[in-house]
Amino acid sequence: MKGFDPKWRDVPHFIIGITKEIWEDREIGSLRRRYAPGLIVRSPASVVVDNTRVIAATMATLAEFPDRELPGEDVIWCEDPARSTEETDAFLSSHRLICWATHSRPGMYGAPTGKRVTYRILADCALRSDAIYDEWLVRDQAAIVRQMGFDVEDWTRDLIAREGGPQNCVQPMTPENDVAGPYDGRGNDNEWGARLADILGRIMAAEMDVIPKSYDRAANLHHPGGKDVFGRAEADQFWMGLRAAFPDAEFRIDHVIGRDDLLMPPRAAVRWSLWGKHAGWGRFGRPTGAQVYVMGITHAEFGPFGADGGPVIRNEFTLIDETAIWKQILLQTGQHE
Amino acid sequence: MKGFSNRWKDFPDYILGITKEIWEDRGIATLDHYYARDIPVRTPMGLARGNQATIASTMATISEFPDRQLYGEDVIWSGDDKDGYLSSHRLITTATHSHDGVFGPASGRRFAIRVIADCAAKEDVIFDEWLVRDYGGIVRQLGMEPRAYAQSLIRDEGGPEKASKPFTPAIDEQGPYKGTGNDNQWGKRYADTLTRIMDKDFTHILTHYDRAAIAEFPGARTVIGHREISESWLRLRSAFPSATFRIHHRIGMDADMMPHRAAIRWSLDGTHDGWGAFGRPTGAPVHVMGICHAEYGPYGPEGVGLRREYILYDEIAIWKQILIHAGDI
Repeated sequence: MKGFDPKWRDVPHFIIGITKEIWEDREIGSLRRRYAPGLIVRSPASVVVDNTRVIAATMATLAEFPDRELPGEDVIWCEDPARSTEETDAFLSSHRLICWATHSRPGMYGAPTGKRVTYRILADCALRSDAIYDEWLVRDQAAIVRQMGFDVEDWTRDLIAREGGPQNCVQPMTPENDVAGPYDGRGNDNEWGARLADILGRIMAAEMDVIPKSYDRAANLHHPGGKDVFGRAEADQFWMGLRAAFPDAEFRIDHVIGRDDLLMPPRAAVRWSLWGKHAGWGRFGRPTGAQVYVMGITHAEFGPFGADGGPVIRNEFTLIDETAIWKQILLQTGQHE
Repeated sequence: MKGFSNRWKDFPDYILGITKEIWEDRGIATLDHYYARDIPVRTPMGLARGNQATIASTMATISEFPDRQLYGEDVIWSGDDKDGYLSSHRLITTATHSHDGVFGPASGRRFAIRVIADCAAKEDVIFDEWLVRDYGGIVRQLGMEPRAYAQSLIRDEGGPEKASKPFTPAIDEQGPYKGTGNDNQWGKRYADTLTRIMDKDFTHILTHYDRAAIAEFPGARTVIGHREISESWLRLRSAFPSATFRIHHRIGMDADMMPHRAAIRWSLDGTHDGWGAFGRPTGAPVHVMGICHAEYGPYGPEGVGLRREYILYDEIAIWKQILIHAGDI
């Protein structure tokens, strides 16, 4: 960890450690040095440039959810030799967090509901010189909104109004408003990353028969909306419903990491995207023709219980932000009224 | 794998394979081959003897839940050809309540629960068994409450005098399997953790579990985070504060592709003399048969933290013992 504070042993220690210090221990001001100047944070909901706005957003979240805790569930990372220098090592970390909090104050989610919410976040961060300098983050907004007792589509419609209507509201991320950052790596060459990327690619090519071949019969699946389900039929339903809604969208694998670590099963982190028309019946109701961008991140852990004795996915964690998808659909169809 | 059919590539393959063959592919008659004629099968609800009893109960279950699926989630095992293998097999079972049966009139509801079966096997035959299923998880997902369900069960069986008695050491019979597991460090580590918890050291969970640990408790309850896991263990212990805790079988494994993991069969034996997960203390003598699995990861002190925990005991069998004693039906 050349170029990093010597108190951090490795990338997971750094990522899990600073997350706790910033959010739980309230070192929010430390974002000024821990987030590099000009940092771009992309999430499906928005593209946020520069760290003063990140500090503002952090405070707004903690004002709304004062007791929020966010333990790291896993960090799947790779080296980034292209951006390592004499002064600093460089890495890309794909961080999976479980968050829980009470919705106790008014804020972005509306009047306080008093509800206790539990949800996951997947955050890809580029690191060097003891700081994060580029970021892609997917939060399970649908899980939050559902646990507060709202319908996802209705809540998104209200959000557009609360943000000042279609002209003034925050625009979801698309390739058209994305800002290129300094990190342009594609991950590492580990076999487990390649395996997960291949599975996702086949699913998106409608080769759905890859699911029984590549998932454990008892696979544990953690899907958007806070859905925890089991088995191949559920994997089929989720991926089918997503692809069916955007049947002609361009599918891209944007980043791939695989790892074999002591004490963890072989595992992978893949960031991917869909960009195209909402042209089919599926997860998002009646086709509207809206042009939609979906940023997704999938983490998978492999195990040995495949049909042919080969490795199969035992635990899958996939996040997309369904509120950002509905926002794009509602804004383009005029159904936001 | 001496004496096992050569269709099985290893012991987990045998366990996963025969489970599918017997229960999902309806090879119920193969129990005549795969289960020993006089096998003792212990569950928290009682002791059954012989494969014909297993065949009868299998058919009753399939009749009530025809679409039942049994997904083998893990096989944690120990042993050898000479003394027999012991498989601690964790399954996820899902089904629709399609026909009338022990759970009452068909409700059309679906459930998903976990089961852990400890099976001893030798020469292609299962010859000794301990099984705990999440009975409370089924009852809750079918829209009932465990206490009320146990009451109705006792009534249906003819009242507290006549109702069949749940499993206790007094009705147990020594079976042919006499092993106690293995000496692998991950089994020892988890045995130490369960012993500390039962010694009321609930802080141990806060210090030695991953902060983001996920535990699957009875009642099909997913509990996330070490603090809530600690509370859930406390609520069990608190109902039986003076009960004796024993570990009966302990396996640790560090096999390729799977996280380091452990399987432990244990019991709590004593009286229901505290407030906790089972309401007002009744003084009822209670035996709790438990089987737990744990998986370890790198996030914890000295680079090790308990990351996944699967806890099985049978809430219905506990309520049944309490209600039979109290005569409260």
